[in-house]
Amino acid sequence: MKNFLAFIAVLVLGYMIVVSLDNNEAFPAYGEADVSSRVSQAFIDRTVTEDPGDIIFGQATNLESGPANIVTAIVADYRSFDTLGEVTVLFVSSLGVALLLGGKKQKRLELNFHPNFMLRVGSRALFGIILMTGVYIAIHGHLTPGGGFPGGAMIASSMLLLYLADDEFRAKIKGFKMLESFAGTAYVLIGLTGLLLGGYFLENLLDNGVIGDLFSAGIIPIVYVLIGLKVGSEISGIIDNFLTEEGV
Amino acid sequence: MEIASYIFMTIGGLFYLLGGLGILRMPDTFNRIQAGTKATTLGAFTLLIGIGFNNPEWFPKLLLIIVFIAFANPIGSSALAKASYKSCDLPDNLVQDDLIDLFGGKEDGLN
Repeated sequence: MKNFLAFIAVLVLGYMIVVSLDNNEAFPAYGEADVSSRVSQAFIDRTVTEDPGDIIFGQATNLESGPANIVTAIVADYRSFDTLGEVTVLFVSSLGVALLLGGKKQKRLELNFHPNFMLRVGSRALFGIILMTGVYIAIHGHLTPGGGFPGGAMIASSMLLLYLADDEFRAKIKGFKMLESFAGTAYVLIGLTGLLLGGYFLENLLDNGVIGDLFSAGIIPIVYVLIGLKVGSEISGIIDNFLTEEGV
Repeated sequence: MEIASYIFMTIGGLFYLLGGLGILRMPDTFNRIQAGTKATTLGAFTLLIGIGFNNPEWFPKLLLIIVFIAFANPIGSSALAKASYKSCDLPDNLVQDDLIDLFGGKEDGLN
């Protein structure tokens, strides 16, 4: 039954691919493509003097791409598909670590030192501040330097601090795995929504808003927060795999 | 207000300078840790308070940074000091050794 369903799904997808590749607007026949309307040509043709209006922080609206941070505009808007690939690379690497080092029953690796009371309690106080900073950086990725990847790495570094400062600490790794798959699925679903309603994958459907606002730049903050959650939970999973061993 | 903020910032910079000088000039690891953390903790506090006088709307964030440094610097330096106690040679002119009960003593600076 399962095989049959998979066969049907493959057939339907194959039919959709053949139909969508068959001489329509997006995929014209060989030799008939209008190259001048393609993305690369559009950006090569662009000049700086074409529309020299000033862009004022906190006032300008209806921009081509909403974020105030130009790096975010490139990473999470113009080549968001490539960023999806990067997130997948990280996912595959964490999967590889889990396959090599993870097992059914895991216990904490024995450290050859015992952290004292001050280190254990103090690092818990620090954990909150580091976690908050990481979340802040991930949420403000479209306004300030940073974004999902550094924010996620910072979230994971707070987990690493707890792992190193307390020799009995063990994170609830199942929650991380669920968070990771939720974030990845949501990213792809946002992309598919753009394909369905707008016309291409990961199209920025929402309103760009006023540049510099927290709620601006359409789907970019949503995508970057999802990337932050995914990166943070993935690297935390890798840390957990490295600091545990098989046993009860 | 502005003059006060610059005075605070100058004091902070001076403490940083003294801390860096201490790291260069102190004779052994433990003294260097002391110079590096004590001086820079106070230096960072005064520097951040000076910035806060200049830009009062940043004060909550600066307060958070001060809390972070107030936790991170002493804890990190104590962990560093313990690790160097376990792995480095102790200085010859040591007067008191409070950690000797905790680690069961050291023989010839090894182990």
